[in-house]
Amino acid sequence: MSAPAIELRDVRKSFGATEIIRGVNLGIARGERHAVIGPNGAGKTTLFNLISGRFPISSGTITVNGKSTAGLPPQEINRLGLSRSFQITSIFPRLTVFENIRCGLLWSRGYRYSFWHLLGGQKTLNAEADRLLERLKLRDRRDLPAGLLSYAEQRALEIGITIAGGADIILLDEPTAGMSHSETEAAVELIRGVSEGKTLVMVEHDMSVVFGLADRITVLVYGEVIASDTPAAIRGNAAVQEAYLGTIAA
Amino acid sequence: MSLLRRNWLWLLALGVLLAFPFLFYDWAKGRHSGFALTLMSEIGVMAIFALSFNMLMGQAGLLSFGHAVLFGLGAYCAAHVVNLVKAGTIWLPTELVPLAGGLGGLFFGFVLGWLATKQRGTAFAMITLGLGELVSAAALMFMGFFGGEGGITIDRVMDTSLLGVRYTSPWQVYCLVLAWAFIAAALMRLQTQTPLGRMANAARDNFERAQFVGYDPRRVRWMQFTLAGFFAGIGGGLYVLIYEIVTFDTVSAAKSANALLAVYIGGAGGFFGPILGTIVVVLLQSGVSLLSNAWLLYVGVLFIVMVMYAPVGLAGLIGLHAPIWRAGRLRDLVLPYLRALPPALMILLGFVLLVELTSFTTIGAAQGKHFAIAGRTIDTTSPLPWGIAVAALGAGALWLRREARAFRLRWDALMEDAKKQAGAS
Repeated sequence: MSAPAIELRDVRKSFGATEIIRGVNLGIARGERHAVIGPNGAGKTTLFNLISGRFPISSGTITVNGKSTAGLPPQEINRLGLSRSFQITSIFPRLTVFENIRCGLLWSRGYRYSFWHLLGGQKTLNAEADRLLERLKLRDRRDLPAGLLSYAEQRALEIGITIAGGADIILLDEPTAGMSHSETEAAVELIRGVSEGKTLVMVEHDMSVVFGLADRITVLVYGEVIASDTPAAIRGNAAVQEAYLGTIAA
Repeated sequence: MSLLRRNWLWLLALGVLLAFPFLFYDWAKGRHSGFALTLMSEIGVMAIFALSFNMLMGQAGLLSFGHAVLFGLGAYCAAHVVNLVKAGTIWLPTELVPLAGGLGGLFFGFVLGWLATKQRGTAFAMITLGLGELVSAAALMFMGFFGGEGGITIDRVMDTSLLGVRYTSPWQVYCLVLAWAFIAAALMRLQTQTPLGRMANAARDNFERAQFVGYDPRRVRWMQFTLAGFFAGIGGGLYVLIYEIVTFDTVSAAKSANALLAVYIGGAGGFFGPILGTIVVVLLQSGVSLLSNAWLLYVGVLFIVMVMYAPVGLAGLIGLHAPIWRAGRLRDLVLPYLRALPPALMILLGFVLLVELTSFTTIGAAQGKHFAIAGRTIDTTSPLPWGIAVAALGAGALWLRREARAFRLRWDALMEDAKKQAGAS
């Protein structure tokens, strides 16, 4: 097996005097669907922000696809093949749904900062964006400003933007938060489909989603990993029961 | 052929603009009105300027208070190039002088943009404000490049025309302005449809998201700024050809404010809003300023009214009618509009009368002018005209409120219908 998709070695992060991430070691294998769970304030989102380069780490090392991300801005980590979504929906509200997806595609298709290509004439690119819209079931919303979509549709669009560039590592931060039961089911199906053959890491509170999707689960409590194992092992883990699951499952 | 069909509006506009000066043509003397042509040339130049400003403001969400710097420096570059051509040092066709201005704007956009685009939002606005003041101050210090208070003068009549035109008449200059205005506008329009233009929108909406799809938002801002500089510089180059002089006014904060006014009044949301805004602002500036001392006040009030009540601008207001137009119900709005017209005119009349009465008791009196309407001198010290003004303003306001309520109901009903109709089809 080649190098893990993501590897964290003794990663620490402090905001002022408060240490939020307290020495995390974690390897996420290629092609794995990995869930990060833990109580509120455990540092799950912070961990995502560190991996994706939104915040710099205080100490330790993170490698993405075998390359250290030290000092890299988010866009360069993205170019290493890592893409993420946000807990609070992050789309381009004034652009149309189609434009949102196309913006997700542009860099990976080599357009860079071009001001000499006319987007209307890029047939392959546009067809690709339309195919993805079909997959997201947003076809009939194509030309609507993204800000006008319903909440669940915006969440789906965000997943679309995240995967559009074809990154092989996808980080999803609470993709089903705030969704109804049926919306959650649809989202899970979507995530299952789009993460096929890729490495998926997600923060999720809905345990049915976690145990339904994940190959491995990492439990983060107060900035430390207390367990990282298969779903079955996590379910039977006493420390996890005590720290976290027990409070829900009891 | 499809190119023709898609761009018929541009061609129509070009035709209208070419024909328009003939409305002011003096057939007896067989010559154009210099005033009308200069006014229209000014509109052309300022439209390029406002559009390039909107590449930052509307497209990239960057509010610049120093955009005239790029316009003015482009103008200075063009002026020096013309003088070099005149001196025989270099060769350049007259028609390409605006391009020299554009390259000047591009260069300064690149250099100053490197600094300005390190930040966005308020910090960006403050940096551009600082750069504007910096260049304004420099304009009076570096005599060689800026020519001090007197500026740089040129003689646009060169023998290097590609078309064999000497540009001795305002009509010839106007045609050149028109050609460049169309080229610049078309290029700026196309730029909105490129990856860079689209990512400028994206970074405007959500710069962090732009980063996480692989783009460096700062680089996007910088390139957008540089290109905006290019187009502003083209405007500057044309400015030099029209007026044959460039002074530090062209880099001043007042000039920057002009672009901002035009874009806000016309609307930053769409592509064509700034052109509309430019027409209004230039007409107020060059037309109303001949009639009234208080023209700047009118510009200011219009600006405030637009920002407060119609932040989408004139183009945005027109755009709001689109659903009703598509439903084919626009004619149902004619009557409500006509009914709102008299009270609106009354308010306007009352307001203008009040402003002019005030202006004539202060500035006018100092200048020894008399306030005259239709040849009759109005006594600004008598209470009658003041009473009329206040009454017109007050009554008009009350009347308009009533009509506005009726208008609103009609509008909402039409919108509702239009929505249903669109949903059904």
